[in-house]
Amino acid sequence: MNSNSIKNRRKSIDKKEIIRVIYIAIIIVFCFIPLLLLLFNISKQDLTFVFSDNNFKLSIINSLIYTSISTLCSTLLAVISAYFLSRSSINKNIITILLTLPMLIPTLSVGLGIRVLFGTNGLLDVLFNFNYDALGFFGLIIGSIIISFPPTFLIIYDALRYENKSPYDAAEIMGIKKISTFFRVTVPYLMKPLFTAFFACFTLVFSDYGIPMEVAGRIKTLPMYLYEQITSLFKYGRGALVGVFLLVPALVSFVVDLYLKEELSDDVSKSSIKPSKKFDFFSGLICTVILLFIAIPELSFISVSFLKNYTSDPSFTFENIENVFTNTHGVGLLGYIGNSITMSLLTGIFGVIFAYTLAYFSTRNKGKASNALHFLSISSIAIPGIVLGIGYIFLFKETKGWFYGTIAILVVVNMIHFLGSPYIMARNSFSKMNKDYEIVGDTIGVSHARIFLQVLLPNSISTIIEMFSYFFLNSMITISAVAFLNTYANQPLSILITTYEKTGNYEMQAVVSLTILIINLFFKTTFFIIKRVLKKKSNEREYEMISKLTKSQFDLLTYLEKNGRRHYTQRSLSDSISLSLGTINKLIKEVSEAGYISVSDDGEMYITEKGLSALKPYKVKKAIILAAGFSSRLAPVTLVTPKPLVSINSVRIIDTLIDALLNKGIDNITVVRGYKKEQFDVLLEKYPFLQFVDNDDFNTTNNISSIMKVVERIDRCYICEADLFISNEDVISKYEYATCYLGAKVAETEDWCFKNSNGYVSNFQMGGEDCYIAYGISYWNEKDSVQLRADITKTYNSRAGKENFWEAIPLRICKNNYRIELKKCHKSDVIEIDNFDELVAVDESYAEFPGHEQF
Amino acid sequence: MNEIILKAEKLSKKYDNKIVLDDFNFEVFKGEFLSLLGSSGCGKTTLLRLLVGIEQPTSGKIFKYNEDVTDKTPFQRNIGIVFQNYALFPNMTVYDNIAYALSARRLPRNEIKSRVMEIIDVVGLTEHIVKKPRELSGGQQQRVAIARTLVTNPDIILFDEPMSALDANIRVVLRKELKSIQKKYGITMIYVTHDQEEAFALSDRIMVIGDNHIVQLDVPSNLYHHPKNSFVKSFIVEQLDEKVKSILGSIKDE
Repeated sequence: MNSNSIKNRRKSIDKKEIIRVIYIAIIIVFCFIPLLLLLFNISKQDLTFVFSDNNFKLSIINSLIYTSISTLCSTLLAVISAYFLSRSSINKNIITILLTLPMLIPTLSVGLGIRVLFGTNGLLDVLFNFNYDALGFFGLIIGSIIISFPPTFLIIYDALRYENKSPYDAAEIMGIKKISTFFRVTVPYLMKPLFTAFFACFTLVFSDYGIPMEVAGRIKTLPMYLYEQITSLFKYGRGALVGVFLLVPALVSFVVDLYLKEELSDDVSKSSIKPSKKFDFFSGLICTVILLFIAIPELSFISVSFLKNYTSDPSFTFENIENVFTNTHGVGLLGYIGNSITMSLLTGIFGVIFAYTLAYFSTRNKGKASNALHFLSISSIAIPGIVLGIGYIFLFKETKGWFYGTIAILVVVNMIHFLGSPYIMARNSFSKMNKDYEIVGDTIGVSHARIFLQVLLPNSISTIIEMFSYFFLNSMITISAVAFLNTYANQPLSILITTYEKTGNYEMQAVVSLTILIINLFFKTTFFIIKRVLKKKSNEREYEMISKLTKSQFDLLTYLEKNGRRHYTQRSLSDSISLSLGTINKLIKEVSEAGYISVSDDGEMYITEKGLSALKPYKVKKAIILAAGFSSRLAPVTLVTPKPLVSINSVRIIDTLIDALLNKGIDNITVVRGYKKEQFDVLLEKYPFLQFVDNDDFNTTNNISSIMKVVERIDRCYICEADLFISNEDVISKYEYATCYLGAKVAETEDWCFKNSNGYVSNFQMGGEDCYIAYGISYWNEKDSVQLRADITKTYNSRAGKENFWEAIPLRICKNNYRIELKKCHKSDVIEIDNFDELVAVDESYAEFPGHEQF
Repeated sequence: MNEIILKAEKLSKKYDNKIVLDDFNFEVFKGEFLSLLGSSGCGKTTLLRLLVGIEQPTSGKIFKYNEDVTDKTPFQRNIGIVFQNYALFPNMTVYDNIAYALSARRLPRNEIKSRVMEIIDVVGLTEHIVKKPRELSGGQQQRVAIARTLVTNPDIILFDEPMSALDANIRVVLRKELKSIQKKYGITMIYVTHDQEEAFALSDRIMVIGDNHIVQLDVPSNLYHHPKNSFVKSFIVEQLDEKVKSILGSIKDE
């Protein structure tokens, strides 16, 4: 029995180890064997030919020159735009999307755009007689910058976004100049991502043949040299040799990256210091200029798709677009679109399954082979697609018919080529999850497979969408690995551009590029929407149980609850709840049927037990009273007594609030005290159940420090200021339907106030006309309490966060996280006494208060 | 309380030749509350992991009701564990978290519901059943973790410093609840802590661990009045006295 169970446990461990070994084998076969074969297929003749070929030497030199120049420029542009974008307060999402637009089209399309704009007989030439031949180095550099800018930008932008902001706080406190901070803090921090970005950029440009194919003209480049050896001359050995050269920068880049890899923090830390308007304007300007530069090729090929013949007959036409649906070249344009989408969807599906499980077995479910698996997985990043593609020719030539030459090989090569990034995304997602889920599963008898499917997977849905999106979009635009492996029938859309390039049909190249752009934009938006919807849905599902009553049902039930069992006419109800007679009639039927109210034989209407329990989720749980501050404006009285304890006509101010709360059944009351805190003990005589929390920082920080002391207690509660003299207890309710803030309408005020926008508060500001004075009484429902706790904690811990009024958090700083109803009251319901004169006005006995002359 | 539910025999654990647990021999009685008390790094969490079956001892044996369970899985041992960070499933509601073990076993729905609701009522989470873990306070999360273990009817529940992330006030409340749950279900509980006060408040017996050995395993009063050596004296007696003194001192100051 015992030996049996040992065997079982061993067996299950072995099973997972076997899976890991299989995965390792898969990566070796599909990723590294092709590379080895590449080397084995280089013959002596190939070596002698290539090394004595003048064109080859020229190609290397040329490639190094334009790659170096464009890499430098691209990295510089990336740093500038990333710096200004991350430090300004302009809308980042839109600009990021626009700046990375070139990632949605093949590099060929970018090249095409440059060629049709700047080339001989280009748009500029035809339209404005601007005769500058962009074929050659100029075009190569411009094109290379544009294709390499987006990924470079993203690396640096992420680094800056996730940068720890506390060194900047420290620098500011020490009074160090901004420019000095930049060189002493920002630059050293950026060195690592900068190196990563630089090498990634270099590798990308060095091995790309899309730009050279379109704009190199007579200039020889290494990728084009390789491309020609294989596609025109069928000299695979020579191609392989050149492939090895292309691999070199990729390897260097990979090694550099291994050394530099550093885990970034999780949170986008926000600096609370707002950039100046001038800085924002300047940043906007810089981003716009770079955007325009990036958008050049897209704009020009888009316009060419609408021209009859952009060199000889540049008149507007839809013919080219119609061509998409009528073209019968090959399998027809629609057929190619079908090829591309099928290939990309399959790559997405299988790629996600492969990369996600791979990350699971290397990161989450550790074993002896995990590290090897991890290393192999990230190494795959280093191999340029063009090299991988040639390797596949050697490895799979013999499988013609069932693998080679089918869509399967295209899907596989893409999966391997694009594996690295999604693998890292999955790995990061696993590393953020609690490590003990499987152990919990062990103890409660839930298998690891179930934990994987029912806990891990649901918690990484958004990562999975991102991974899928990466596989999909890249498969749509790739021209590298698939270029050597596709056949006439399964040719993807992106490769079709090369076919039209050979026949010199620019308009069709443009149309195909535009088609890819549109498809990718469509899918990218779809992924984005799916992510949003999932997020929203999961939020909504949590709260659907709670808000079961409609607002009018709630109003009726609370009215009945408050006024007790008696005769009600529909007319009187209609008046009291301010609903039309018709609505009341319907409403009463509704809630009677639901069993919430009942009418006795003698016609008395009352709320049932069921009705009461339906109201229960809306019952106010508790109240928090903020009473820590020192009210200087009420001096000299407050020199002796804290304002909440000051009596007006022999009633203590705070008693009016506590009594109101008690009369509405709220007896869980916390008072945050600070200034002369011991005096508050006297309240215990009358209200022994009061809970005190002390805030000793009351005189150095704003009232956020008081709320911070009780932040964990915020839950379905009122938050009140302690210095309001309540003259109408109905400003407090036993039940609250939604989060709300108390306000009274005035024509003009110098106090904090807000506007009424369709029943919700907005425009919280100091002073205003035709607005509502913000009385310091608010209610926070379940959902908003959770949010408020998080927002308060976050703000408090942020830079300069302690300077805030807590009210500013939901009403201003994080206002988009809340929808706060306006709870209306009359101005006379709450008496705010703001200064000594007002105090004397309501209670003459203070007129002769000792010391009043000085104030 | 004299039936032995768990027994460790010459239990040792090494990591790369570093000895973490050295020759542990002890017995746990059915229904008792045993604390493993020691400063951090003394091996108490490792011992817990051996007992539950997440890790294997380098040598020695573990018996449950006289049956050798050293090579059995946690589930076969029928021992539950509550982690310091609770490890609740974030995508599931309170109800689903607790019901998960039962639904994975394909029990009939009605049976699951009645069992889960009973336990939810015991731990006082009835009004939170549709919430997700992140909407709960630390104390509530811990109750869910306990309920999730309770629902599988374990013979023993192990706790790995479950209160260390909580406020002092909530700890006191939870301690009481834990004791009442223990009484109600008669479950044996083994509780890892580095807090002397907590160990004394909860335990029937306390195992003081120091330097990878059992230093003394005894009832609280014996530990206090008859410390076996200077280590127990300084770690338990003086620490507790210090606390009492400081509390009395602060009362006097008022």
